[in-house]
Amino acid sequence: MSYTLSGVLALGFHALVVVLLMVNWENEESLAPIPLQPYYIDASVVGENPFEAEKKEQARRKGERKLKETARRDREAQNRANQAAVERAKLEDLEKRLAAENAEREARQKQALEQLDSLTNRDTASPGDEKERLKREQSLALSILEEQSYRRAVTDDEKAMAFVGQIQRDIVGNWSRPPSARNGMQAVLRVYLVPTGEVVNVVVEESSGNDAFDRSALLAVQKAERFQVPPDSRQFERNFREFTVLFRPDDLRL
Amino acid sequence: MSEPISILELVLNASIVVQIVMAILILASFTSWIMIFQRGFALSSTRREAIEFESEFWSGKDLRKIYLDLEAREEDLTGVENIFSSGFKEFTRSRQQKDFDADRVMQNVQRAMRVAMSREEERLETHLPFLATVGSTSPYVGLFGTVWGIMNSFRGLAAVNQASLSVVAPGISEALVATAIGLFAAIPAVIAYNRFSAQVEVMANRFEAFTDEFSSILFRAAHSK
Repeated sequence: MSYTLSGVLALGFHALVVVLLMVNWENEESLAPIPLQPYYIDASVVGENPFEAEKKEQARRKGERKLKETARRDREAQNRANQAAVERAKLEDLEKRLAAENAEREARQKQALEQLDSLTNRDTASPGDEKERLKREQSLALSILEEQSYRRAVTDDEKAMAFVGQIQRDIVGNWSRPPSARNGMQAVLRVYLVPTGEVVNVVVEESSGNDAFDRSALLAVQKAERFQVPPDSRQFERNFREFTVLFRPDDLRL
Repeated sequence: MSEPISILELVLNASIVVQIVMAILILASFTSWIMIFQRGFALSSTRREAIEFESEFWSGKDLRKIYLDLEAREEDLTGVENIFSSGFKEFTRSRQQKDFDADRVMQNVQRAMRVAMSREEERLETHLPFLATVGSTSPYVGLFGTVWGIMNSFRGLAAVNQASLSVVAPGISEALVATAIGLFAAIPAVIAYNRFSAQVEVMANRFEAFTDEFSSILFRAAHSK
């Protein structure tokens, strides 16, 4: 008897609780729905864009090469012309080194050719022909070198772009823009990495004018903590030791 | 996802493990509430009867008459009444023997009353271990359900490309319902257990006091002749 009564009471108690819970839940429904807007983020790496850096590098090298050639032709005149500016002086230094290398190579080639000549056509060797051949061979070697360096530059570019893309994705994945972000804002951050890819420092180089936006950009880089960088230290030093990142929301409706 | 999910939907959409956990907890809660009501009634009626009987006992009525009244009652004797009747029965029986020794009679009477008292205490304590078990384990059971649910929802999160709060939120919400039910079952059970065990203690003291008083009366009666 006592158990039946208790059972009924327990059942009633639970039913009451469930009903109260339901009612409470229904009433709160009016507060809840706030539709979430999807976030689209566009962060891109600019400034020392490895691609552009590579191009610049290439242009510089090309210039050097040209200089080298002219130097060989007309060293005296160029020496005089170069002494004016400091930058030029630096270039000259480089040039000298290259010229020395060149001279050495030339000498070696000459020696080899002489040996070859002495072995093969000892009789027909004439000083004019030999000079001609030397020149031809030199230009051939030069063009091969040029092609090799060009090819290497291209593959380096591709590799660098892959890493840049990955870094971009990492940053974008960690970037949550503040509600105050507007189209047209842009912040430029300078990021310093160590060769393992860890971020050692990041500073705002060019503020967007909105503190929250700058902070969100800083946070995005700091949260990423570590980027994938090329294992090749030469490439790392050139493109990834320090680089700038441009944060710019382009797709907001505001 | 424009409107919030109702709690019923949460429970129905939960994974099977979480649902089993919730079912166990609801059952535990239901059973423990049956125990709570039943114990409450039983303890209060025991106390009421004890008070009534003691007032009758101390009213100066003839003990034999009280005993006969109790024997005449149809329902089972409980609490103090049971202790009194078993003591008195033993006393009369021992005295009817030819060469009764007052000390031996008292020993028998006290033994009989002690047995009756321990039986009564045992009866008072029924279901209390169940309440203690529900009170101490159902939070853990609920927690297990929650951990399981959260585990699953995070596993789901790992598979999703664009991770957002709305991917994990329903899973965590449904998992937390398990903990809520666990606490809902545990809290009343713990409170009831503490309350009832204190009441049982009080009743046991009362029984003991009555036993001592009654045996001193019987002692006087045994030695007076």
